[in-house]
Amino acid sequence: MPKLLRHVLKLVGVLAVVAWSLVPIGLIALSSFKSDRDIFSTTGAFSFAPTLANYQALWSRWGDFFFGLWNSFLVTVGATLLAVGVSLLAGFAYSRFASRGLQASAFFLIFIRLIPPIVITLPLFPVVNWLGLNDTHFVLIVLYATFFVSLGTVVMRTFIDQIPRELDEAAMMDGASQFQIIMRVILPMAAQGMLAVSVFVIVYAWNEFLFAFIFTTTKAKTAPLVISEMIGAVEGVEWGVLFAASTVQLVPVLAFVILMQKHLVAGLTAGAVKG
Amino acid sequence: MTTRTPLSAIALVTPVQLMIGGIIFLPAIYVFWLSLNQSSFGQAATFVGLANYAKVLADPYFWKALLNTVIVVAIVVHVELLIGLGMALFFASGVPLRALLLAIVLAPYAVSEVSAVVMWRFLFEPDVGMMSRLLATIGLPPIEWAVNPSHGLAMVSLLSIWLHLPFSFIILYAARLSIPSDLYEAASIDGASAWTSFRRITLPLLMPALLIAALFRYIFAFRLFSEVWLMTGGGPARSTEVMAVYLYLEAFRYNAFGSAAATGWLLVLASLLLALFYLRRLYKEMFARA
Repeated sequence: MPKLLRHVLKLVGVLAVVAWSLVPIGLIALSSFKSDRDIFSTTGAFSFAPTLANYQALWSRWGDFFFGLWNSFLVTVGATLLAVGVSLLAGFAYSRFASRGLQASAFFLIFIRLIPPIVITLPLFPVVNWLGLNDTHFVLIVLYATFFVSLGTVVMRTFIDQIPRELDEAAMMDGASQFQIIMRVILPMAAQGMLAVSVFVIVYAWNEFLFAFIFTTTKAKTAPLVISEMIGAVEGVEWGVLFAASTVQLVPVLAFVILMQKHLVAGLTAGAVKG
Repeated sequence: MTTRTPLSAIALVTPVQLMIGGIIFLPAIYVFWLSLNQSSFGQAATFVGLANYAKVLADPYFWKALLNTVIVVAIVVHVELLIGLGMALFFASGVPLRALLLAIVLAPYAVSEVSAVVMWRFLFEPDVGMMSRLLATIGLPPIEWAVNPSHGLAMVSLLSIWLHLPFSFIILYAARLSIPSDLYEAASIDGASAWTSFRRITLPLLMPALLIAALFRYIFAFRLFSEVWLMTGGGPARSTEVMAVYLYLEAFRYNAFGSAAATGWLLVLASLLLALFYLRRLYKEMFARA
């Protein structure tokens, strides 16, 4: 193939990839700064007078949304701490010990990922109501963490496998307990793995819809749920305000994913290759 | 392999096992029991055997939802793997500003299903959306996702592919990067064409990763709920429901817990069936290793 043609084809490929990934995101972020008239104007996406009117309207009329963001934040932090903590402990056990029982329980970890979340809402819904836990942060924290501990454990185990056992043994000689070994030796060296697991849980918990939709109504309502109400709220969607809300919800998690790109890739490959 | 498990190991895995056992496994078993009973909120259950299954299997809406699910899953997973493979090879052939481009490709991973629905609905908003206008300009018929069921499902598929492409891409790209480059050098010395080295080197060595990505995506695509719920709500006239939406409506709108549970258990069985081969291999590997 002639060199020039190669370059042109490559450029077309790059442009296609960028357009596919960024046009939907960029369009709503850009349109959130447009007046209602400019949003659907046909004179080109970039010719408009920027305005903060949509953000002001969001602030004054959809206070619920910012409350939802706060709930999302609390739930995300809780679920991440819980999932990373228990995955670290289990990942250590699966990396350092081997027995028939442990193998069986590791198999169970992977097997459990086959059960679709919606199935377990049937029995959990009445139980959660009965316990008075409906519409609490606690329910979402536990559910979100639970659905990521099996992947989390597999990823942690892959990372801990790479830490030399001699380090544990040396610490054990010095009289450290199992828990002290995890906290002092493993934890600092497994930080990469913990970051990889956090990326999964944070993105999932921040964006999740199904459980939030079923288990929360007002007090623990998360941001995606409020946005979904905005889609369905009035006939004839208020696009501008909706774009402002979507942008505010997206920006922190998008920045986080880009920042954590390396860990996300490492976690995805570790998790998928090993199960 | 030792048969005894050290106490400290048991203590360390207990939190994880309690969480998945108590919150996923036991409820799933309970769903099976529910599926054999007639019950609703605040009512005592009565045993009805397989009546719920018979009822579900006689419901045309169930078959409609199953068919929709199978179609959407087939389209989404295969198109996604194809684009993901193409992109992985494209990236491996060398692209300018690789790190930046990688970040751009990963961006949809950060987007919530809710926001993605907002984006794609806006792009395809009848008459005024950017894509609707583009289609009109090049003389193609509009996508009437709100009124035409097959268009609605097409939108759902498009949206799912967009959201999950980063996952398939990363799996395939990582696998492609782990193929040693001297294989390609040797092939080119032997005079192999680009197509031949793709057929003889790339494809066979990528096969395990392709199968893993396909398996994960089949299983997860089968659970599809939010995209459909937020895009079409299953309408018009229940024509775009998928399995999870059907289950949700049975349980939470029609209060038919028995048939919802039967549907749920059928979903679990379908997942198990899809993964049977993989589970068997994994089981053998795990017990062979330790």
